[in-house]
Amino acid sequence: MVYPGHLKKLVEALTRFPGIGQKSAQRIAFYLLGCSREDVVAIARAMVDAKDKLGFCQTCGSLAETDLCIYCSDSKRDNNLLCVVQEPRDVLVLERTGQYSGLYHVLHGALSPLDGIGPEELKLDRLVSRIRESEIREVIIATNPNVEGDATAGYLARLLNPLSVRVTRIAFGLPVGGDIEYADDLTLSRALDGRRVI
Amino acid sequence: MFYLESLLIKGFRNYHYQQLQFNPRLNIICGGNAQGKTNLLESIYYLSVTRSFRTRRDQELVNWEEPLFYLKGIFYKYDLRNSIRISYRKNAQLKVKVNDKAVSRYAHLQQFPIVVFSPDDVLLIREGPSIRRRFLNLEASRLSPQYFEELRAYQRVLQQRNNLLKKLYGRGSRQINELLEPWDETLVSLGSNIIHTRVKIIKYLEKEGKVFFENMTSSRETISLEYAASVEYSEAFNETKEIFRRRLEKAREIEIRKGSTVVGPHLDDLKIMINGYDSRKYSSQGQKRTAALSLKMAEVSLFRKEHNDCPIILLDDVFSEFDEKRKMHLLDFLRDNSGQCFISTAIGIDNLLESISSDYKTISIHQGRASDEVSRPGN
Repeated sequence: MVYPGHLKKLVEALTRFPGIGQKSAQRIAFYLLGCSREDVVAIARAMVDAKDKLGFCQTCGSLAETDLCIYCSDSKRDNNLLCVVQEPRDVLVLERTGQYSGLYHVLHGALSPLDGIGPEELKLDRLVSRIRESEIREVIIATNPNVEGDATAGYLARLLNPLSVRVTRIAFGLPVGGDIEYADDLTLSRALDGRRVI
Repeated sequence: MFYLESLLIKGFRNYHYQQLQFNPRLNIICGGNAQGKTNLLESIYYLSVTRSFRTRRDQELVNWEEPLFYLKGIFYKYDLRNSIRISYRKNAQLKVKVNDKAVSRYAHLQQFPIVVFSPDDVLLIREGPSIRRRFLNLEASRLSPQYFEELRAYQRVLQQRNNLLKKLYGRGSRQINELLEPWDETLVSLGSNIIHTRVKIIKYLEKEGKVFFENMTSSRETISLEYAASVEYSEAFNETKEIFRRRLEKAREIEIRKGSTVVGPHLDDLKIMINGYDSRKYSSQGQKRTAALSLKMAEVSLFRKEHNDCPIILLDDVFSEFDEKRKMHLLDFLRDNSGQCFISTAIGIDNLLESISSDYKTISIHQGRASDEVSRPGN
């Protein structure tokens, strides 16, 4: 395939995006070429600005525009409750529920010796000292329900045990509004394990 | 009743184009060596499982003069006619269509159940434990759909844990325990599940296999199966977990030195005993073959009990090493089994077939072509 040099470079750059292959990259490239210069500059600026202005909260590790994120600096939030998640995007998902009003702690990963991720990489000592110095009474562990997420939850449970806090694991089970018949076997069996009295 | 009525083979192994009609019960595929008998069985197996029992590489299945292979089978299932079409072209995705609807190969699996016995199955007795674990895993997945998922998760934990063990050498014991315990927990609970499902499937297989084996040997010999576990399991699930946990604790030092997990179902074995002796060490070639066949036929019986229907049975070159009595017993079993069966043979078995009272069809294969099909009605 013969491309003009700058188009080639643009397509190449766009294929780095997750979920974007050669064809989608080409479509986006031609879309951009069709835009006005101002629009393209605005799009590029939005990317650069996001990169420059967004960092991680010093306290909890979620996305923040200043040293403290909007959750940690919000005095109306319930500071007895802490939810531990793997990724910053998990915070957004939990926020969308509108159900949770406590604080967060983002690990930026899960224990995975194969990827060289141990307790040090997750900076778990910082989590422990944070809990020690705060009024947190319950820690909800919301790591992913897979092998690595479960091991991380198990490790955290042991680690937090000596502190006088209640440690809970988020429940697993059926998607609400769905039919039992469409649930996969493993989800259903975990839902059975996690049943509760009504 | 479930059977393959007809088959069209194009460009598969040494076949260019072949249309075949089958008997709903017994089909004898005969012919000299290297004419295409096993290839025919393989194509039937492929229609059901979308995989060969001889190779993992689909490329090998395409005739070397053809660009692709195409198989079409008409299966009857609960009196309903199903057409299955599969085509494969090198470097392209496999296409599977059931009744003109495209399906994924995994959704297709087990829809048209089939059991194969080939000369290689004697390896089940002769080789090391891994081949028997694979057999157990396959059987257990059929019995419990959850098993497959649990096994996958177990293997993942194992990988993570082994990797961790390699990094722990020289660290303090408190830190070691701290790091290992969360992985131990999942390893133990998944592993105990796996052990218990395997033990259950072995009990079933033993019960069915015993009947077949004793028939084959005119009750002169007996077979028994035993789960050889690295963790002494108990009837009670929680107790197995406890034993497993204690074994892991005891093995800490060795595990760290070796850098790998030394207890668990990934190391276990299925012990197959003939007259109480380990068949791997103390058995003749004929005994090994009979034992392997018994396991496969136990699989058939088990399936029949569970689904009230028979899988199709493929027997590749099964007659070459059995004496007359065993051959007769096998044919009796197949007759009583009431499902469809395909038997390939290079030796004449007309005298045997004379004596069983069921109809069958003989198909002769010569250089990738079927000829002089003979049907014989039942007496």
